Amino acid sequence: MRNTGLLFYRRLASPLHATRAGVGAVWALALTAAALILYNPLSLGALALAVLGAGVGAGVGRQLAGTLRTALIVGLPIVAINVLASREGLTVFARLGDLGPFGQGNLTVEAVVYGAVIALKVTLLMLITTLASLAVDPDELLRSFRRLSFRSALTASLATRMIPVLGADARRLAEAQRTRPEDPSRGVRGRVALLSAIVGGSLERAMEVAATLELRGFAVAAEGKHRPWRSRSRRSSSRLSRLRRSPSEVRVKRPWSRHDLAFTCSALTVIALALAGRMTGAASFAAYPLLKMQIDGGTWMLCAALIAAMLLPFIDRRGIDR
Amino acid sequence: MAATVAGCGLGAGPAPGGVQLTVTRDFGARVLGRASAPKVQGAETVMSLLLRNDKVITKYGGGFVESIEGLSGGQETGGDPLDWFYYVNGLEAPKGAAATNVHAGDHVWWDLHDWSQTDDIPAVVGSFPEPFLNGVEGKRLPVRVECAQAQSEPCRTVLARLRALGVPAAVAGIGSGAEPDALQVVVGSWTAVHGDPSVQSIERGPRASGVYARFAASGQTLTLFDASGQATDTLSAGAGLIAATKDVESAVVWVVTGTDEAGVARAARALDTSALRDRFALAVTATGAQLPVPGASG
Repeated sequence: MRNTGLLFYRRLASPLHATRAGVGAVWALALTAAALILYNPLSLGALALAVLGAGVGAGVGRQLAGTLRTALIVGLPIVAINVLASREGLTVFARLGDLGPFGQGNLTVEAVVYGAVIALKVTLLMLITTLASLAVDPDELLRSFRRLSFRSALTASLATRMIPVLGADARRLAEAQRTRPEDPSRGVRGRVALLSAIVGGSLERAMEVAATLELRGFAVAAEGKHRPWRSRSRRSSSRLSRLRRSPSEVRVKRPWSRHDLAFTCSALTVIALALAGRMTGAASFAAYPLLKMQIDGGTWMLCAALIAAMLLPFIDRRGIDR
Repeated sequence: MAATVAGCGLGAGPAPGGVQLTVTRDFGARVLGRASAPKVQGAETVMSLLLRNDKVITKYGGGFVESIEGLSGGQETGGDPLDWFYYVNGLEAPKGAAATNVHAGDHVWWDLHDWSQTDDIPAVVGSFPEPFLNGVEGKRLPVRVECAQAQSEPCRTVLARLRALGVPAAVAGIGSGAEPDALQVVVGSWTAVHGDPSVQSIERGPRASGVYARFAASGQTLTLFDASGQATDTLSAGAGLIAATKDVESAVVWVVTGTDEAGVARAARALDTSALRDRFALAVTATGAQLPVPGASG
């Protein structure tokens, strides 16, 4: 299958893929929290390095490199806007004169650094999101929410499954458009035509999915759950529910694997390290009014510990299907 | 355009010399910090000068001051609004602190005060001998002393005080007309000067003039107000006032006046750096006591 440019989950032989989806999601959330808690550029850099390392360990390094390129495109305007808008720094490196309502255009080193820190945070969030969407099984994750809200879980699951399908539709339609002699795919009109065809197709697909679900009796099961005569029809409902599931979907209590445990420990350690870094001052950082950044043995140890905590679960590759 | 281009360049730019920075609260009643030689590094704005020399918390990307030395704006216990305001050479700046450049010799004054009566105090006297010595926005302005009686003792005293500080001042009669690019000092009893359009706003009270004192229509009594607009004192014969204001058309106008000639003479004698320091305006009683304006509540 040709790469559609969309990032979606594919089962690969890696410890992160082998981990249950819930644990993988919690691990990704822990990395996100650490990225939000930390401001020290060195510790954020270590976190970024570790996320890229984790991407390589999960076999999705190439996709993460693509995200990194996109993040750079997003990050540069963040830095530029902060340099032009912020008036809190004191180390002026260039003066643009009076910018009217924007004040004196004094560009400061502090504004550049703070903008870069924010850009690095955005980059980290993009990398973590990419890694999670590539390595955490969305169906398994949504299945765990089924008990809380069956309809929401089903809708979300279908929506995520539709993204690659719509991507393939778009590619196929664009290729068909290009085969026409006047090549209408160029220009705004061609793009609008393509978009309207995709939107129309998606609505058609939605109708088909809805009809299929109705045929399979999903609506009956969902209604029965909330009705007072549920007790009477419970047996038939549960039988229907069992029939609805394929054998591989039948819920079996899965014991925790060594990967599950390793990634849970990793998530807890990363959060603990980020909090410790903030509270002990090992990762302290203040951009304004003058740069104040902690770089000592404690900071280096924190960075090393963050990298180790995130990458150690990838070392154990026993029991991974190939 | 020329000013914009002149402010451009690489690096921090030339540092202004002889700058002073004062931080007070309650209309100068309490001094929180005073630096006759604050840290300056390259071209500074009022905001960067403050950030470099005090513990400041800003908001809106460094455009506004939230707190200085832990004192923030908001509301007083009585519910009156409180905020930080700044004056450069005794003049309220028309732009934000991050947009106002500091020039050589400037006196930058930050004050945290109640603005329930007015948030527009266009000029204050507490930076004397500024703005006469170094002018406005780095440009020295001509000074014109307008006297009700050119040969009177108060007029001569004011001229002598200014000239002693190196300020060349011309003398003119009252009502010679406002000039937008000149600093005016009006000297005379209130009955003699109140016809001058540039000082008439004082008769309309703090909201109109930014001066927390008001002469009666007869000019015989002078009422002083506190920050919340309550009258604190009423002075009669022999009382004087030094205040500064600014209307839309004119440049800054200082007024050295009184309920009578004796009061004007007392006010003229109080035209002195130490007497005016950190005052928004100054009243002098018949006994010679100097009262800050606005006065203390209660």
